[in-house]
Amino acid sequence: MSSLYVHIPFCQRKCVYCDFYSIETVSLMGTFLDALDTEIALVGPVGEGVSFDTLFFGGGTPSLLAPSELERVMRSLRSAFAIRGDAEITLETNPGTVSLEKLRQYRSLGVNRLSIGIQSFDENELRFLGRIHDAAEASRCVGLAREAGYGNVSVDLIYSLPGQTVGEWERTLSTALALGPDHVSAYSLIVEDDTPLARMVSAKLVSPNPVEAEAVLYEHTMAVMERAGFEHYEVSSYARPGFRSLHNSAYWSHAGYLGFGPSAHSFWAQGNGGSQLRWANVPALSRYCGSLRKGELPVAMREEMTCAQLCNERIFLGLRSSGVDLRRLGDEFGLPADRLALAGALVEDGAAVMDRGTLRLTARGYMLCDEIAARMMV
Amino acid sequence: MNAIRNFCIIAHIDHGKSTIADRLLERTGTITPREMKFNQVLDDMDLEQERGITIKLHAIQMHYAAKDGSSYTLNLIDTPGHVDFSYEVSRSLAACEGAILVVDASQGVEAQTISNLYLAIDAGLEIIPVINKIDLPSATIDAVKGQIRDLIGCRDDEIILASAKANIGIDEILEAVVGRIASPAGDPARPLRALIFDSVFDAYRGSVVYIRVVEGTLREGDRIMFFHTGKPFDAEEVGVLEMKRLRTGELAAGNVGYLIAGVRDVHDTKVGDTVTSAAHPAESALPGYKEVKPMVFSGVYPTNAEDFEDLRSAIAKLQLNDSSLVYQPETSTALGFGFRCGFLGLLHMEIVQERLEREYNQNIINTVPNVEYRVTRTGGDVVLVDNPSTMPPLGEVAMVEEPYVKAQIIVPVEYVGNIMKLCMDRRGVYRNTTYLDPTRADIAYDMPLSEIIFDFYDKLKSTSRGYASFDYDLLDFRESDLVKLDILLNGESVDAFSCIVHRDKAHDWGKKLCVKLRKLIPRQMFEVAIQAAIGSKVVARESISAMRKNVLAKCYGGDISRKRKLLEKQKEGKKRMKQVGRVEIPQEAFLAVLSMEDE
Repeated sequence: MSSLYVHIPFCQRKCVYCDFYSIETVSLMGTFLDALDTEIALVGPVGEGVSFDTLFFGGGTPSLLAPSELERVMRSLRSAFAIRGDAEITLETNPGTVSLEKLRQYRSLGVNRLSIGIQSFDENELRFLGRIHDAAEASRCVGLAREAGYGNVSVDLIYSLPGQTVGEWERTLSTALALGPDHVSAYSLIVEDDTPLARMVSAKLVSPNPVEAEAVLYEHTMAVMERAGFEHYEVSSYARPGFRSLHNSAYWSHAGYLGFGPSAHSFWAQGNGGSQLRWANVPALSRYCGSLRKGELPVAMREEMTCAQLCNERIFLGLRSSGVDLRRLGDEFGLPADRLALAGALVEDGAAVMDRGTLRLTARGYMLCDEIAARMMV
Repeated sequence: MNAIRNFCIIAHIDHGKSTIADRLLERTGTITPREMKFNQVLDDMDLEQERGITIKLHAIQMHYAAKDGSSYTLNLIDTPGHVDFSYEVSRSLAACEGAILVVDASQGVEAQTISNLYLAIDAGLEIIPVINKIDLPSATIDAVKGQIRDLIGCRDDEIILASAKANIGIDEILEAVVGRIASPAGDPARPLRALIFDSVFDAYRGSVVYIRVVEGTLREGDRIMFFHTGKPFDAEEVGVLEMKRLRTGELAAGNVGYLIAGVRDVHDTKVGDTVTSAAHPAESALPGYKEVKPMVFSGVYPTNAEDFEDLRSAIAKLQLNDSSLVYQPETSTALGFGFRCGFLGLLHMEIVQERLEREYNQNIINTVPNVEYRVTRTGGDVVLVDNPSTMPPLGEVAMVEEPYVKAQIIVPVEYVGNIMKLCMDRRGVYRNTTYLDPTRADIAYDMPLSEIIFDFYDKLKSTSRGYASFDYDLLDFRESDLVKLDILLNGESVDAFSCIVHRDKAHDWGKKLCVKLRKLIPRQMFEVAIQAAIGSKVVARESISAMRKNVLAKCYGGDISRKRKLLEKQKEGKKRMKQVGRVEIPQEAFLAVLSMEDE
């Protein structure tokens, strides 16, 4: 399994909570796409001989791409990489940026999965978050996706807004479910450093929810999604059977991926049996374009993974998603005996189940996922 | 020998002992003012300068041209002021014929002034009373004169008024040393007897022994012997102590100096022992030798279990300089491998802990200090218990005895009520009160040592606005209704929290400890029951509810490194915790029981 990721670093307006790299100067799209072409061409040889199973356009707001612009990116990608005909190709879409026609054209370019950033169906909450759309527009967007023929539609939601009640979250969640998505990502609002939200918090304009309130909302989410027939296959991801995100699953199963655009991350094995590398591009459009104009890769961070790091990643990624194969882990890295004892205790406490050597967290376990991961890691 | 004077300075902390010593060194030309980088020359350890107390004693020789036209050799032997080191004090006093008693003109006589003075009087020393800091506006010279008069029965005109800072009275002190203190007696021709009053360890030369030659003459090349160990050595180097060691080749009766004899183990050169000739040994040792016994015990553990070997070598090195420190390895289920250390007292314990951290860069956890208990089993045999976890089970204990001390507290009269309440809370048995003057009382209590080794001093200070001064002296062992109190986390006993307490206080103490631990132990993945128990009887209980949520339900995209680093940080935090059963206990919890105050 191998994947490609393209980061489109533009938004009409930045949301208060978002710490992904994105700027509002959409007029620089052309400049960016020139650089992106160069980057794709430069990285191309790395993916030589590999066929790619998933492609993900994230951001920012990828749906700001005009169909012609997306066509240009797709052409570059296809000329540099072998993308399978049945590859999962996802495009993050924001309500308020697309028309039926645009979605149809995206589809004709190969996009077969839309991840729609809705976040909330509460007008006050949408305003607070800094979204550019209202609830009606969000609902309409899901309808347009279906009308345009997308058979795999995901919606992103955010809960645990300051002071949010279970009732308020319940309304957003059920409105979303009523639209019949194939996949739901429900994230808890995190106050990240250097965001407008963080500044609001330090100015005491808002106060983040206490852990207890977050816990109640999360439990509620898990219960509702389970009743609605969704599989809870990662901390914040729920899918109807057969609709798990292949791309995200690749991240979580240690598959290789190549990322393009400012701030994009990559994970790739060096040659045959070589060491595993993680690297990330500079999180700044100017430097990104500058490097590529000089014909240099805009890499800001690069780490050669140690055995312990790989082992730890395997543990926490597995725990966050669909389980850790302890037997395989033990074979590959060797696992201290007390970790197996811990696994046993987790099963006994109802925080996990053991399924043919794979330790998988239950709803109760997901609540404590980071705690468990920190204990399991070596 | 008629031109030698051996003396010391005794004083309560901060009454100016060190500044007076400095002035004497300057006045006699032993050191120039320019050389005086620090204002307190005798205290050369960092720690001593900060605490203003001399921990390890030293000696220094000065030459003084007196007003009578003769030149005198003055040996100033420095003494540690604190009760923890009272044996060392008594040995250095035994090396002197006189003592300068320094009293602060504003503070007056304090507890340590008195305890050290009594030691000096017991040793038969000539006392030269000095009131220091007379130039301060807060000085109450007449009142302090009165206190000193009452204490030693001297005349007013025998008391020297001085200010070491302003260089007042220094000549008078030197003249009094020459004029009032007797020259040493002792026949240089008799068999050698020299008193060891201190030793330091030199990495290249081995033990450097500080001695007062009482009889006979010690020469380089002599075959010598330490009386109590019986071990013979060759005197490699003999000399006097000026600002540096000054090799003289011999030391005759009456003089003070050093001896280097290739001794690699400080335990062979014990304070109080007698150096004699191996060929012509003296008939008897000098009087007063005793083994110093530790009074306070505490577990010392490395913060990180991997650092155990480091800690072992640090303690071993420290002990080379401090023969009164005893230690042996022990294990704790909660803290892993460490050492049970025995200290002379609380200050000694603090000093050792600080030196381990500062000089030897160790990160340590120390357990709650305890005293040594004498436990009689039902079978009749007696065991000494210096670690609560080695206390025999409840059913096997017939009687427990604990050390008592005579506590002396000097305090302004308005705080007498507070002090008495504090002492009663600490199981003190009232003895008497005397008044140094109408404003200050000297209160005596018999108290269990265990009650004063734990935050008593801080309490004493806070309840008297810092005015109370305090000293103690070991009395005897007395039977008490003592029990071992255990702390259990989810049913498992955490040995590092066990302590031996009086039965009447067990419930209260257990409750406090449980509440404290509830606040300090973070939520775990499961509920944690904290219990305090005597044997199988639970006397207090608290619980920590299970952790509700610890997960960031965030979209990380492909940035796995970031999440990994966050978790690795959490993991590091966990590594610093100690685990008992499945319960993770932060280090602060072990430290917090050392400062258990009513909250």
